[in-house]
Amino acid sequence: MRFEPVVAHKGRAKPPSNKIMTAKEAVSSFIKEETYLGMSVSAAPAALIWEIVRQRDRIKTLDMVITSQIGMSSVLIGSGLVRKLEMAYNWGGIEGEDKVFRRAVEKGIPRPLELEEYSNFGAAARWQATSMGISFLPVKSMLGSDIPKYNPKIKIIDDPYTNEPVALVPASYPDVAIMHCSRADEIGNVQCIGLYGNTDVLARAAKHVIVSVEEIVTQAEIRRFPNLTTIPYYYVDAIVHAPFGAHWRESHYYYHHDLAYGLDAYRQFATQEGYEAWLDKYVLSTEDWDAYCKLVGYDRLNRLMLSEHKYQKFGEVR
Amino acid sequence: MSNYADKYSLPELMAATVAREIQDGELAFIGVGMPLMAATVAKFTNAPNFNMMVEYGAVGPSPRRLPMCVNCAVNNERAYYVGTQREVMSAQQAGFVDVACISGAQIDKFGNLNSSVIGDDYFHPKVRLAGSGGANDLASSAGRTIIMMRQDGRNFVEKLDYLTSPGYLAGPGARKKAGLPGSGPVAVVTTMGVYRFDIESREMYLEKIHPGVDLEKVKAAVKWDLAVSPNLTETEPPTEEQVMIMRTLDPLAVYLGNGRDTLSGDFETFMKMFEDSYQPMLDLIKSKGLV
Repeated sequence: MRFEPVVAHKGRAKPPSNKIMTAKEAVSSFIKEETYLGMSVSAAPAALIWEIVRQRDRIKTLDMVITSQIGMSSVLIGSGLVRKLEMAYNWGGIEGEDKVFRRAVEKGIPRPLELEEYSNFGAAARWQATSMGISFLPVKSMLGSDIPKYNPKIKIIDDPYTNEPVALVPASYPDVAIMHCSRADEIGNVQCIGLYGNTDVLARAAKHVIVSVEEIVTQAEIRRFPNLTTIPYYYVDAIVHAPFGAHWRESHYYYHHDLAYGLDAYRQFATQEGYEAWLDKYVLSTEDWDAYCKLVGYDRLNRLMLSEHKYQKFGEVR
Repeated sequence: MSNYADKYSLPELMAATVAREIQDGELAFIGVGMPLMAATVAKFTNAPNFNMMVEYGAVGPSPRRLPMCVNCAVNNERAYYVGTQREVMSAQQAGFVDVACISGAQIDKFGNLNSSVIGDDYFHPKVRLAGSGGANDLASSAGRTIIMMRQDGRNFVEKLDYLTSPGYLAGPGARKKAGLPGSGPVAVVTTMGVYRFDIESREMYLEKIHPGVDLEKVKAAVKWDLAVSPNLTETEPPTEEQVMIMRTLDPLAVYLGNGRDTLSGDFETFMKMFEDSYQPMLDLIKSKGLV
């Protein structure tokens, strides 16, 4: 006997302390050169993406993991930051063909983009696995297709209980996850109103988590609807207050997708020069998200909000 | 009973055709775009008790405006459930989804689809496309799938450049052997006609041809020796009501035509689109007793 007490090991929980920061502070603190970055699609964290691009000289290279992205990932790919993309889908959606993505994969402009492909469910299962603390999950997707043929990380095995084939996907452990959600308190309890895709498991999979939100609310307000809390505080490192922080995309129950802007941006993205001109005007020449919103126009943003509220508002059936 | 529309576009014909494939009471996995048009028509006509699932986590929405994507705010509108993508994907993998609608850039005779790359070198593609997204998951696990795609003369191929979403793979029995839960495609609705799959060989054959389309042109647009049904008929045109429903939801032809060109950079027209369709959509929902 040495009569020394057992060392008190601690879990990974982030403390319930004040986590409110600016986008600039959050990106500076957590995103570094060669960060492996996870990104949500629902909703798209535009305010955080814009800030990452503003800091691209420092960050230089990112490897990214997504399930699907509809438009916003191209802002990062076009900026020359992205070296590798693990994905199920990357396209413009209703905005159409993603020329930024095509240029990067087909021509290596502005830099070559390596791909690692999954199906959507396969990609989501990777974060689900990490969130459970295990290194893989089996799914019944991608079997018989060419997806595993060009992605050796997907293993087809016989299920030991049924002897039927299953596809194993490896857990994904992002260094940092960025996402945009509805509201949070200052210690990082995050609530999503409306559908939220895979943001819950993405937050659970990443080492560090930055969440931009439409509203900062009190802890008492969070406690009123605790089952809206999709991400409890212990996963979260930084809360960034970014009203309209998903523009040109939608933020459920807050404002509608600005399709007129998105289509126009995509028209400009048809050439790398056009993309650079857009980037210079809307991202690099604006100091922060508020400056971007002023450039787009708060009148316009408020009209997108009123339009959304005409059809749906939290707590009401309209 | 049916009053057929005198004038309709090809996308309207395709959407009406897909709508007729959806049965009342079914649970369907619906992608935004043309499948959504078909779903809306079905809901307001032949299948009022069918519900749609939308990929990023919505079940049973009944929107009064045009959804823009699978994670659009519109998909929450008057829904039964909203939450995660994994809810709808898991339900599908566990066998709860009756029918799903998917698309692709290339197809082969067993209904396998490519939406990933064009060209024979995956690592140096001639054209890079979007990738699977949920298409592979739907093709793998939905009870049955309906394929909706453009037929451009080159994309009905002998061999795909990349197999993104499984149809019947190499033929009879191949899906089961690969471990796929769903039963595979039942129809391919294109810009030229409607195809089905033979129950024995699982090979695609032409069942219907769109009005005004020449059979020889269809054969020329298919790179394998296409089987044609001995009972080949013309595709049933959309009814006046079906066309009216589609144009009420999509007055600027964002999905049904070239509305996207009109809207690019034009915020006022975009806002007006919502204003203009709000009351007609409300009236439509009320007239169908779906409030």
